Amino acid sequence: MTDLSTEMRDLASDYVLGLMPEGEARIFEEVIERDGDLARYVGGLRDQLLPLDLSAPHSALPEEFLVRVQAQIAAEPMRAAPLSDAMPRAANLSRAPSRSWIGLIAASLVGIAVGFGAGWMRPLPEPMVVAVLLDAEGVPQAVIEDYGNDTATVRFVADIDVPSDRSLQVWTLPTAEMGATSLGVLERTAPTRLSFDDLPGPMAQQLYEVTLEPAGGSPTGRPTGPIIGKGFAAQQL
Amino acid sequence: MSDDDTGQDRAARLRQALADCAAGQEDGLAVILDIEGGQLLGVAQRILGRADLAEEALQDAMVQVWRKAANHRQSDGSARGWIYAILRNRCLNILRDGRRLSILAPADLALVQEARQQIVPAENWEILSGPGKLRHCLSGLDGQSRQFILLAYVAGFSHGEIAARQDVPLGTAKSLIRRGLSALKECLS
Repeated sequence: MTDLSTEMRDLASDYVLGLMPEGEARIFEEVIERDGDLARYVGGLRDQLLPLDLSAPHSALPEEFLVRVQAQIAAEPMRAAPLSDAMPRAANLSRAPSRSWIGLIAASLVGIAVGFGAGWMRPLPEPMVVAVLLDAEGVPQAVIEDYGNDTATVRFVADIDVPSDRSLQVWTLPTAEMGATSLGVLERTAPTRLSFDDLPGPMAQQLYEVTLEPAGGSPTGRPTGPIIGKGFAAQQL
Repeated sequence: MSDDDTGQDRAARLRQALADCAAGQEDGLAVILDIEGGQLLGVAQRILGRADLAEEALQDAMVQVWRKAANHRQSDGSARGWIYAILRNRCLNILRDGRRLSILAPADLALVQEARQQIVPAENWEILSGPGKLRHCLSGLDGQSRQFILLAYVAGFSHGEIAARQDVPLGTAKSLIRRGLSALKECLS
């Protein structure tokens, strides 16, 4: 607990109180998932404030409520990733973050490499690098995790409008010689696992970006459209 | 929920229910709704002020609980706190989604906003905190910090809304909340 900086505790407070804008909260959740001390701090704070929730007057559940939940689960079987819900409806994400803590987050993602030895566990494979992609105003748009075995995941943390005749395309710059190389084309901003062929293992400071391209992807094999977000990889292992 | 259901028993059942959800067994959802459903819906109703929105929020939250159950680690706080946090986040997303609320008629929207303002009374705030340590520690805070924290957590107001409604600069609202929560945390631990 003492390892957490004051700034990180303040962010955790904002997060638990519900004061963090949604895009920032999504990124903060990524950090929580990777930082055991932070996760315990957040969990502890939640439990301490829980009596406030328990003070709400009880409301009887409508009939067959469980059936409604089950139906919704069955209707959306593919939306399995933790970040999928609510994102297409997120509000006000185009405005700039109220503070600039992306540097702190990048530092904390890098810091995880140090924290691994402390027995931190996560039931998922470990990405080799993580990149937070920012738009021109510094607002986070997407988080890329590259696992180094020719797979990566992309999760969008902002409300990105993809016209019906456009696709999103994820790129990286493995080496200067290879130039921008496509990691995959997406039709929508659902969390997606990308598989690609025979790229060199991802490196710290490797560039990742997402662009808006004609439907089906760039006709030239290189980025041609506006950049939705770009960022550099922070090494995790 | 039976009357002799102790807190420990409930905590163990909720933990097991989350484990069941993580294992793909829908019984887990039934248990969570059986134990906490009415209270969860009450929280959503208090924040959102409308039964239809509250039910939608709880339904979405339960879908997320189902999907994220495997991510919950016991060392990171109680299953109960985790479930309520998911519901509160879902409620806040609905509140702050302009498009979501724009389907309401202006008069209905005004009612929702007005009801939220009434959630945190300037007097008798104690009813919000229950009888325990949290109440004691909240009572030790300066009145403004306490009220801002309650407006955020209980009524779901943002920094900007709190600053505007309480007529203080945004930076002041933020620092009062942070200082208050830091003092609260110290008192609670």
